[in-house]
Amino acid sequence: MKKKLILLLALVLTIVTGFTTLSSTTANAATDNSLTKVEKKGTLVMGTSPDYPPYEFQATVHGKSKIVGMDVAVGKKIAKDMGVKLVVKSMSFDSLLVALQTGKVDMVISGMNPTPARKKNVDFTHTYYQGGYSIVINKSDKGIYKDKDSFVGKTIGAQTGSTMYNESKKQTSGTTVKGMTSVSDLILALQSHKIQGVAMEKPSAQAYVANNKELAAIPSKFDLSASDTSASVAFAKGSDALVAKANKSVDQIKNQNLVNKNYLPAAGKYLKTNTVNTSMLHYWKAFLTGIEYTLIITVCSVFFGFILGVILALARMGQGGVVRTGLRWLATAYVEFIRGTPMMVQVMFVYFGLGLIVNLPALTSGIIAISLNSGAYVAEYIRGGINSVDDGQTEAARSLGMSSGATMRFVVLPQALKNIWPSLGNEFITLIKDSSIVSIIGVSELIFQSNIVRSDTYRGVAPIAVIMVLYFVLTFTASRILNYFERRMQHD
Amino acid sequence: MTKPIIEVKNLAKSFGKNDVLKDITEQVNPGQVIVVIGPSGGGKSTFLRCLNLLETPNSGEVDFDGQNLTTLDTKKVNELREQMGMVFQGFNLFPNMTVLENIKLAPMKVKGMDDAAATKRAHELLDQVNLDDHADAFPSSLSGGQAQRVAIARALAMDPKVMLFDEPTSALDPEMVGEVLNVMQELANQGMTMVVVTHEMGFAKSVADRVWFMADGYIQENNTPDEFFSNPQTDRAKDFLSKILM
Repeated sequence: MKKKLILLLALVLTIVTGFTTLSSTTANAATDNSLTKVEKKGTLVMGTSPDYPPYEFQATVHGKSKIVGMDVAVGKKIAKDMGVKLVVKSMSFDSLLVALQTGKVDMVISGMNPTPARKKNVDFTHTYYQGGYSIVINKSDKGIYKDKDSFVGKTIGAQTGSTMYNESKKQTSGTTVKGMTSVSDLILALQSHKIQGVAMEKPSAQAYVANNKELAAIPSKFDLSASDTSASVAFAKGSDALVAKANKSVDQIKNQNLVNKNYLPAAGKYLKTNTVNTSMLHYWKAFLTGIEYTLIITVCSVFFGFILGVILALARMGQGGVVRTGLRWLATAYVEFIRGTPMMVQVMFVYFGLGLIVNLPALTSGIIAISLNSGAYVAEYIRGGINSVDDGQTEAARSLGMSSGATMRFVVLPQALKNIWPSLGNEFITLIKDSSIVSIIGVSELIFQSNIVRSDTYRGVAPIAVIMVLYFVLTFTASRILNYFERRMQHD
Repeated sequence: MTKPIIEVKNLAKSFGKNDVLKDITEQVNPGQVIVVIGPSGGGKSTFLRCLNLLETPNSGEVDFDGQNLTTLDTKKVNELREQMGMVFQGFNLFPNMTVLENIKLAPMKVKGMDDAAATKRAHELLDQVNLDDHADAFPSSLSGGQAQRVAIARALAMDPKVMLFDEPTSALDPEMVGEVLNVMQELANQGMTMVVVTHEMGFAKSVADRVWFMADGYIQENNTPDEFFSNPQTDRAKDFLSKILM
């Protein structure tokens, strides 16, 4: 139905499950009391990816951004029947199942369909909604395309790794299938005529058509089994008690047709309020939050990254003795490893991997991961900076009776710092931009916020343009400030 | 007889396969001015740098004030280095600090002197080298002669018992050599113990108590300046002097 895990995540998952097997004894013992645990806690944490109206999306309610949609209504019903409070946690769809397996969330409701592959890793309830597929096209093309078979020689878009994507490939011939990660991007591609149709779920298609007068929906006529179009609630493997309890709620929802009668119309109302005012100015609060988090992540990471970098650089330059050689070897290995792996994987590993040992919030995980990454790069800058200071400086200081530590601190480092200041400034500016990577674990920095605004307003380009300008304002201001300090440090 | 302040016994130092110092045994008495001369590459600078352990000798010992430096731990060596001021060919002033800060740094960070006392002492020393009007200048704005005089003041700020000079005038323009040598001569007159590696034969003649002629990793000759320059004992020294004295 919706997206499957991307390859990258499968890798992390493998590593993470590797850890789980190592600590499986404790994990297994905890499964029996899954329901009691939630009841004791008093909260049921639901993970969802709020970029998929009307299933789940962000809406501004009484001036506050809030996750709403029919899935949230389903979650509320389940939590209410358990007598606990529902907490909604947002993250990218790709991260949801990992979050469930690592205990970051208690359940996942995100228009997820219970495929056999997913069933191997998590437990599903009965289905609470049976949907279908539509293809969204430009209204002007309405006469040309009738269903999936009308696109011979043309291009259909679908979310990468999703069931739609796979079925479009399988069930069409002579049609190119173009994959993109977000529906907003696909709609944008459709409107700029890069693709001719977008395959998506019926309720989503309806939402897009209702909110954008230039779009139209046609039936897909895909041949699908029931499990491909149904949505279920996912729980961690082995939490039978929780699943049994949730199934009672799900059955009620089905029997009373609550989704079609209550939940979807309610979600539609939010969609309407959402699209009444789609000017970017209306969303200034969302962007402000984005800037705030981007800056928090960057400043914290630069600070901790610098400290780590100094330690690593000194360790890498240590000489003589078993301990020093060992430290040098460790620091070198660390720097090489961090520089040789993608930051995205590091971010996911810290959030999900370390999450098995300590439950860190996404923001903290993001700051840790980026600091660890930045430290490796800063270490190299500092090492270069220290090497660039003339040996005579060290000799002069040592001949005055200063210890090696004092020499480093009072004589070498201040000069090294001055030499590498431009590189450090570059690193800071790079981090402002690179901090966007933590959007994948649901930290509401600029990219994450802009994606939300895009799916809320059904406007593809405007939010991108806004954050582009915002990023530039941030980096330009930063580079001016850094230049000012650089000038002040110039003595020779 | 007085106890020697520096005693070198069978000192040897090599860099890889290159034996720079082979077997040196000499001593320096308090108040003496020793001038080390000899051809380039003869090991003069390396020898000087072994005296305060900027280079670690391969074998032999360096005794300072009765203590064998080569057997002491780092902390103790740092303490003894305070008592051996060193002046380098390339000045090695700290470019990111003013002249005054250059002089105050070690007394404050190593001796724990307070700012007022260190500042007062720095001004006295600058006065002594005739540079007090440059206290707030940065090293980059000084001439070579001025920079070297600041470097001497900086070394003196730790109140050393011995001053080591490693070719202090070699990097200077000829017209600036005099001002540095004058400061050194004055220091010698005040009774400072000095070991000076230099090519300034005039300085050796007029100021040195002893001249050590060094070549091929050995001290070939240890003599008074009068004897050395008028009546060198070794062929190696005769050859050297014939090349430099016109």
